[in-house]
Amino acid sequence: MEFLGLSLALFGAALAAALAGIGSAIGIGIAGGAAAGVMTEDPNKFGSCLILQALPGTQGIYGLLIAFFVLNKLGLLGGAGAVALNWNQGLQILASCLPIAVVGWYSAIWQGKTSAASIQMISKKPEAMGKAIILPAMVETYAVLALLTSILMLMGVQVG
Amino acid sequence: MGVARLKKAELYYHKSVHDQIAATLQESGACQIISTEEDKVQRPSDIEALISRNDDKLSEVRYLSRTLTPVYVDPVPALDRMLGERPDVTMSELEELASKTDLQSICEQTRAVEHEAGEVRSKLSEARTNTALLADLKFFPYPLSVFTEGTRTLTALAGTIKAENVAGFKAALGDLSKYVADTEVVVAPFDEKDKAQSVYVAVIYSRSIESEIREVCAKHGLSFVEVPASFAGTPEEEQEKFAASITQLEKKESELADKLSELAQENVPAVQKLSDYYNSLSSRYNEMARSEETECTMLTKFWLPVDRAEEVKQKIEAISPDVALFMSDPAPEDEPPSLLKNGSLTRPFNILTELYSSPAYRGIDPTPLLAPFFWIFFGMCLGDAGYAIVVFGTILYVFKKYKKMSLGVKDFIKLFLFCSISTFIYGVISGSFFGNFIDSFVPALVPLKNSLMLVDPMTNPMQVLGISLLIGIVHLMFGLLIAAYDKLRNGQFIDAVGNDLSWFMFITGLTFLGLGMGGMLPPHFVQIGQAMAGLGAVIIFIYAGRGKGWNIGGRIISGFLALYGSTSYLGDILSYSRLLALGFGSAVIGMVINLLGGLAADIPYVGWLVAIVVIIGGHIFSILINILGSFVHPLRLQYVEFFGKFYTGGGEPFTPLTLSQEFVNVKA
Repeated sequence: MEFLGLSLALFGAALAAALAGIGSAIGIGIAGGAAAGVMTEDPNKFGSCLILQALPGTQGIYGLLIAFFVLNKLGLLGGAGAVALNWNQGLQILASCLPIAVVGWYSAIWQGKTSAASIQMISKKPEAMGKAIILPAMVETYAVLALLTSILMLMGVQVG
Repeated sequence: MGVARLKKAELYYHKSVHDQIAATLQESGACQIISTEEDKVQRPSDIEALISRNDDKLSEVRYLSRTLTPVYVDPVPALDRMLGERPDVTMSELEELASKTDLQSICEQTRAVEHEAGEVRSKLSEARTNTALLADLKFFPYPLSVFTEGTRTLTALAGTIKAENVAGFKAALGDLSKYVADTEVVVAPFDEKDKAQSVYVAVIYSRSIESEIREVCAKHGLSFVEVPASFAGTPEEEQEKFAASITQLEKKESELADKLSELAQENVPAVQKLSDYYNSLSSRYNEMARSEETECTMLTKFWLPVDRAEEVKQKIEAISPDVALFMSDPAPEDEPPSLLKNGSLTRPFNILTELYSSPAYRGIDPTPLLAPFFWIFFGMCLGDAGYAIVVFGTILYVFKKYKKMSLGVKDFIKLFLFCSISTFIYGVISGSFFGNFIDSFVPALVPLKNSLMLVDPMTNPMQVLGISLLIGIVHLMFGLLIAAYDKLRNGQFIDAVGNDLSWFMFITGLTFLGLGMGGMLPPHFVQIGQAMAGLGAVIIFIYAGRGKGWNIGGRIISGFLALYGSTSYLGDILSYSRLLALGFGSAVIGMVINLLGGLAADIPYVGWLVAIVVIIGGHIFSILINILGSFVHPLRLQYVEFFGKFYTGGGEPFTPLTLSQEFVNVKA
């Protein structure tokens, strides 16, 4: 049972990177489909479509960021060797990873749907690009808040 | 600063000079033509004629640019072109070019080439289909004329049939040939095991049993294959013929493609210039068609910024003595368009307002009000001195290299130039330089970095969170003050106090109270805060019950409901925590990249190379993705939290009659 803490913490890091990454992949996929459809009509919209498609990609980055944060905290990067962790601390780190894992996963999918709708919007009204960017960004707010929660929780957990 | 004052101009002139007048108004780029009446059907006759003549030219130009542009190899890269590297021409040069260029003959040449290419393509596809068919008919040992002509008594048919039916089909034909000789079945070689595949068969038979043969074919599910009438020799002979013609056609096809790109290379530069020319004329005539006419005179009405009025007036009066220009201030019932007019420091931020919605003509222009906040927010979100230097340097390089950028592009780039300065400042005070590059790779500079640090998000994020929320409160309170000012300006004193100033006092008071109790402000701020918050709450409570008379119960309920609205302010304020999160995000992504670079450096022999690639590539990626976030999120704070307090937009943007400059820079 000596490594249970470490395993729990790693499980948390894996969830953060994996779930948020899956969400972003799905979200970007949804937006990409819409973008490809619009570009068959008007290839010149590639630039604006790409920006809108990239918007749901940040959740995956937030997840990766938390995963690295955890690995760094555990001392697994840089060859200094892992810190000692009891199962309680491991569970705490796992809990800290959950906000970005769950919210990142789900919000990226919905952001992707909003992005797809925004892409449809600029296909008809290219001048509405500003509004088209803001609508998906409204969804991302909650991913940002989850990221913040995860960061603050992780900083609060004492290890070593 | 703010929304530019406009004049309403009424211009009367003689018909003989209408085209010069139109050109002058268009070249000034300062006049937005007003429709004299909605849904005007009858256009002035002189202009109607010009429009229909111009439309013919325009359709030729459009045809040419649609056909030739895809095969045109532009010597100027697309990015350079976007940043203003395009030929400069004047309107009179374009006019000369237009009179010199025989668009019709270019169109004819292009159409001829296109037509021929179309024919070649269809012949080629026919030849390819036939070659494929011949490959399938290779099993047939006789000349193919048996199918197409036959002999006096014999003919043949070809078709495909399922492999499992072949035996039955043969047997049935065998029964038929008992009575009539000369029936022969040829079956293409096939794999016995695959029952579902289609197999080619050919049947040679006597003309006398045509109908019986067809019956058998139908019964066994044979689907006929049409053998083209031109086939005469054996399949091999025919294939050779087609192979020769395919090579010939392919050669022809590539010749025609070369010819088309030659035409493109030769004509596209002129076509692009003419496209701008005829599009300019088209918008000129269509806008001027809103004018009124009498037998000899015309009347055009337009909006004109006050500071351009004198210049335009002089130009118009120089054309002819037979013009009369009257200018007046907009009447109260007019809804003039709005043109943002800001100094060189705030002008780059105009685009942020325009992306949301232009202000109404008599409304407040929020641009100078949001500019400093956006500047600070962007800096906090990107928040890295190294990234700031990269962005700043890149933009300076672009400005140095491209001198002819359009004003809009230049202003947009300038926005990022300005914001890179705040990014640098925040990067220095938060100790972020390409993430933790200094700590990881240049330990000698650590003391310098640390001495400049004022906040440390990495070890003390609560401090930065507090700062973010405080900035948020300032931003929101500023918004409330603007709302109050706007209402006072319109004489709505009660609403200004009840709706905006009350909340301002309530929240500012609570903030003072909190900061005073937390020891961040002198203790007497606790009392000031209590008084302000109390007074604000009382006003909110009373104002909410307005119009309810002496219905005390109703007033109490609506008062509490109004105070419950403070939760929405709580949400607004917490929204500013994204400033910490995004700044943190870019710092940590930078850290991760440095870490990966450091790990890569341990690879034997090539480690340093991999490390450099990882670090440079990674930071470029990080800059791009973080700029996107640092643009979008501060913008949301402006649009949702800040504008929500006072700004609705709702104005029509000023869209003057201008020259079309899609491909070239047109000067008057």
